[in-house]
Amino acid sequence: MEKKTLQYDVVIIGGGAAGLTAGIYCGRAKLKTLIIEKTLVGGLATYTNEIENYPGFPEGATGLGLMDLFHKQAKKFGVEFKLTDVRSVSLEGDVKKVETFRNIFEAKAVIIGSGGKPRLTGAKNEELYLYDKGISFCATCDAAANTGKTVMVIGSGDAAIEEGMFLTKFADKVIVSVMHDTGKMDCNEIAKAQALANPKMEFLWNTVVDSFKGDERLNTVVLKNVKTEELIPVPVDSCFLFIGYLPNTEIFKGVLDMNRGGYLITNDRMETNIPGVYAVGDVRDKFLKQVATAVGDGAVAGYGAEKYLSESEIFEQQIMNEGNPSLVYIYNAVDAHSRELLSVFKEFEQSHQSIRVSCIDTYKSDGLAKRLGVQSGPCAVWIKDCRIQEQIDGCITKEKIEQMCK
Amino acid sequence: MAEFTLDCLGEACPVPLMKTEKKINEMSVGDVLVVSIDHSCAMKNVPEWARKQGHNVEIEEVDDGEWEIVIEKAK
Repeated sequence: MEKKTLQYDVVIIGGGAAGLTAGIYCGRAKLKTLIIEKTLVGGLATYTNEIENYPGFPEGATGLGLMDLFHKQAKKFGVEFKLTDVRSVSLEGDVKKVETFRNIFEAKAVIIGSGGKPRLTGAKNEELYLYDKGISFCATCDAAANTGKTVMVIGSGDAAIEEGMFLTKFADKVIVSVMHDTGKMDCNEIAKAQALANPKMEFLWNTVVDSFKGDERLNTVVLKNVKTEELIPVPVDSCFLFIGYLPNTEIFKGVLDMNRGGYLITNDRMETNIPGVYAVGDVRDKFLKQVATAVGDGAVAGYGAEKYLSESEIFEQQIMNEGNPSLVYIYNAVDAHSRELLSVFKEFEQSHQSIRVSCIDTYKSDGLAKRLGVQSGPCAVWIKDCRIQEQIDGCITKEKIEQMCK
Repeated sequence: MAEFTLDCLGEACPVPLMKTEKKINEMSVGDVLVVSIDHSCAMKNVPEWARKQGHNVEIEEVDDGEWEIVIEKAK
């Protein structure tokens, strides 16, 4: 079967809170935008029954309901949706390719919001009680619902212990299942000392989950002692799993920079190591994973993608000037001396009609300067046949320009 | 390469998934099954199961809150 190729300005991988927000920004900037989602639009948030900390909804909202609003808003701005999974990507160069089972989508910019999923224990009946049925992955989300209750935490890493301590502010008792020997934990020493001293925390050493039990909702976690094989049923109201999170980044391995856990590394503009490729939301290496922060990421990347595309256009048409002679002056308008030089370039432009002169202020955006490989201004760049022929850094004079542009 | 349809409109989880599993097992490699659903939880478990089995999956939103899951049996 021949795959059909379609062109877009921006392709967004993942239709969760981050991807949808990026879509809203791109759509509103009149970019031809496609969001590819492998299952239900809305992402991980649709698994949450109640979202009470997303601003603007004082009565709270259901995850599904809130994401449906995001979806509608993106559609309103003309964003297109394709519900399938991405098989492979080719991100280098100006035209990026995103391949699905039946299509190849070509885009000038790609925003990755592929998210991830919490790691599961693999114990019996786990799938019956996930998310709103008793097994939770987010203390920030579900702690308040466990006020005065008994909860279990699985794991002993930083996330498990710190979230566990947070839970003690709400729950009466927090039972922590640790697979290691007594006193040995994976978290940092400070957290460990605090946790051991916390009267609401109880530790069950050398244990792993054997099975989950309950009716409609979880009510018992059966632990197994890894040394004695003894089964220990523990009645609980909720169980929190903190045994790691798996970002969906397999298809980006070796292409995009990621940390040890597989999260994509970006700067504060959501840019990855490849120009025109952005990462947003839970898939990104970041401090807090919430709908509220995903929305912020999406806005930054959507705005960034729009800037990147308009700069690409200026770069091709004006700077490279379709192979014709082009003189570019890169300066920072904050610097007085650089501003004075502007008149030199204006004069040059008038006396050399065949040469296109562009003055680029790096104060607002350094994107074009970066594309020319210029670190700092003032700098004059001489371009012909779409290649940089020569450049003058620092001390620029009329004579030097005349000499360079021969 | 035959095409089959499965109407699961109005059916809640896990019924659509169970019906899909049964139907796919009766089909041959290369056949396509189109499952109609209107229950959002089936949007999560049916495609997830199908992909785990190695099949090709694509979903069409037919109407607001109504979808067709297209599964091509790959092995």
